[in-house]
Amino acid sequence: MYCSLLLKRARLALASALLLAALPAGAQTTLRIGMTAADIPATTSQPDSGFEGNRFAGLTLFDALTLWDLSSAEKPSVVIPGLAESWAVDAKDKTKWVFKLRKGVKFHDGTAFNADAAIFNFEKVLDKSKPHYDARLVAQTLPRMPTLKGATKVDDYTIIVETSEPDAFLPFNLTNLFMASPAAWAKTRSWTEFAKAPVGSGPWKFVRLVPRERLELEKFTGYWNKNRVPKTDRMVLIPMPEPNTRVAALLSGQVDWIEAPPSDAIPQLRSKGYQITSNPYPHTWPWQLNVAPGSPFADKRVRQALQLAVDREGLRRLLGFNAIAAKGVVFENHPWFGKPKFEVKYDPVTARKLLAEAGYGPGKRLKMKVQISASGSGQMQPIAMNEYIQQQLKEIGVDVEFDVIVWETLFNNWRLGAKDPAARGADAINVSFAWQDPFFGFARFYDSRMVAPRSVNWGWIQDAEMDKLVAKARGSFDAKARDIALSKVHERAVEESYFLFWVHDVGPRALSPKVKGFVQAKNWFQDFSTVSMQ
Amino acid sequence: MSMPSPATSELDLRGAAPAPVFDPATALVAQATRGYWRTVLARILRDKVTVACALLLLAIVLLAVFAPLLALADPFKGSILRRLLPIGSEGFLLGTDELGRDMLTRLIYGGRLSLVMGITPVINALLIGAFLGVVGGFMGGKINTLIMRTIDVFYAFPSVLLAVAISGALGAGIFNAMVALTVVFIPPVARVAESVTTQVMSLDFVEAARASGASSFTIIRVHILGNVLGPVFIYATSLISVSMILASGLSFLGLGTKPPEPEWGLMLNTLRTAIYLNPGVAALPGAMIFMVSICFNMMSDGLRAAMDVTQ
Repeated sequence: MYCSLLLKRARLALASALLLAALPAGAQTTLRIGMTAADIPATTSQPDSGFEGNRFAGLTLFDALTLWDLSSAEKPSVVIPGLAESWAVDAKDKTKWVFKLRKGVKFHDGTAFNADAAIFNFEKVLDKSKPHYDARLVAQTLPRMPTLKGATKVDDYTIIVETSEPDAFLPFNLTNLFMASPAAWAKTRSWTEFAKAPVGSGPWKFVRLVPRERLELEKFTGYWNKNRVPKTDRMVLIPMPEPNTRVAALLSGQVDWIEAPPSDAIPQLRSKGYQITSNPYPHTWPWQLNVAPGSPFADKRVRQALQLAVDREGLRRLLGFNAIAAKGVVFENHPWFGKPKFEVKYDPVTARKLLAEAGYGPGKRLKMKVQISASGSGQMQPIAMNEYIQQQLKEIGVDVEFDVIVWETLFNNWRLGAKDPAARGADAINVSFAWQDPFFGFARFYDSRMVAPRSVNWGWIQDAEMDKLVAKARGSFDAKARDIALSKVHERAVEESYFLFWVHDVGPRALSPKVKGFVQAKNWFQDFSTVSMQ
Repeated sequence: MSMPSPATSELDLRGAAPAPVFDPATALVAQATRGYWRTVLARILRDKVTVACALLLLAIVLLAVFAPLLALADPFKGSILRRLLPIGSEGFLLGTDELGRDMLTRLIYGGRLSLVMGITPVINALLIGAFLGVVGGFMGGKINTLIMRTIDVFYAFPSVLLAVAISGALGAGIFNAMVALTVVFIPPVARVAESVTTQVMSLDFVEAARASGASSFTIIRVHILGNVLGPVFIYATSLISVSMILASGLSFLGLGTKPPEPEWGLMLNTLRTAIYLNPGVAALPGAMIFMVSICFNMMSDGLRAAMDVTQ
């Protein structure tokens, strides 16, 4: 029975292969991508599965008022106009922003994008009295824009967006609020039904979705930005959470592109002619320390000692050099890096000295417990990497014990904070994170109000000086002044070493030689429009 | 993965020769039993496959137990510069792992935890499950219903799912993983014990023992346990391989051993991404799991054949 099924499948595969081969050149082109997600991210207009969800089921089907510039591989990407042509904060009341909307934009169903459509999409996550409000969408949205309060229409192409406090980070945050077609929702008045045939205004149109199997999209020729009309006819997204499966799928020609190939498979892929692209992007892999009073890590000297105890070159070697050594939350050449007075580097002599000053030595070894996962989205190779760090810390007299938990639980514990019983007395937690906007990179960690349950100040950082610096950045509406203010936050973050910065990810991808024109931006999101198939 | 079904294991009641019913003196029973076990041993020694498997297992167990006495490399100390050396490298007979630690040493040390995690839950389940099954079968009626229907509830879950769910709820760690596996194995053991007990209870010699004034305790000890232990023991040995694979699976998922403790399942997890770079080394922990569980299975088969007097 099983055998005959296999035979049938093999025949089917053969038949379809012959069919494909028989197609004339220049026929429809298809780009097939193996994602790391375990399922198709929600197509409700507010995807789940983290930023990978936004990459594949958000920015492909939908647009936001503001978008990331993904056109360059060299420059750090910045926020550019999307469905809003321009925006400005009200000079008198800094909690109000005027957004001028783009004219002539059509959703895939032909209806127009205007102020009503924009307001509809604000209401879906903010206004409980509206039928299109949905708690599931809220969960994927509001934690990324905690100060967003509401939006009102001025005229057909102007809206006012309100925040609960002056917040210069709003344009960044709004890259995560996707605009769905109100007319498409109104057909069934249910986001569950909408997700079965989602309609947005993005460069890709929905074709078909098979849960856990595939999401098929086709190019939207009516896209408002003619430069971003896709060069490939179709795109098929396939969830493949197991890294070796992705490699096998690429090698066997089942997909043309895989996300995050395991570093040990890269040399082989390269030798077989596959393109390996990578570019540092805002994704760092740290230990976040518990600094609550009473913890050994409340002492800055201990934190700095650990920071100096690990040779990050070894970690890079472990990852096949698909990482860069971290010297802070952001890269060294990033506008937010600043000039920290403490340098993160490998210096075991100073590390031992600092530990001795803090009262630890051969007679009194420092013991610590770290919660880690065995795998998980963006966690790179958590067990091997943590074991390496454990070995290195042992050399300076720090004994590390691991509490290995399932990735979803770890992620949940991250939100519950170090004082929750779920932390089981851990001194640190290992969750890799995105820092591409100031809220994600700084405010949610260093603002003293962001402790559980509000956000992920896991280790209970209560630093009045830091609060002031974060508030200043949040209140700096001029881009240059904001970047300077953020660099001050970053300088303090490095000097205080509340996090142990290990490595930044470079987001390796492996592409078949047939894939042309891909530009890997220094971003979590990527533009698939420029990609063509040969 | 499915556990061997208790229904398919041969519950041969003639296997353990029942004691003469008219003589409650246990000396005779013991003698009869000793003769029986001698036959079993002789039969096993004639079975080459079983002997080979037993010797292999013995070697692995001895290596694991005396690992610290052997002049081996440090299982925890590595060097990132010599990571993933192939099998047969100088100084590293079986190569090195992803952190440059000696694979041979880690495989030997890994055997300690893997074997403990494979065998302990089965022993625990054997004791608890046999107790529950014999009590259920002997008492009958409402008590039997209570015990056996509760056990049926556990049967409703696939064993892997149940193990993952329990250790997920209890948290990671060797102890919790063993608790989870024990819970998984109690129901099938109890079911085997209960069905044999029920069958023995309906036989004439039990009636006779009761009529002759033997106490419940004596009946259980002499007549029931004597017949129940054989089949239950054979069934339990067949569970060891399942237990090892499940335990390795839990460690693979991060629910068992804590790094850097070597354990075959965990080693398989951390080495699997190297399968394209150094397939030989990456496959070693899997090969160990495979070999040991096959050996336990073959031994269990051999034991069953040897204990079956009808052959």
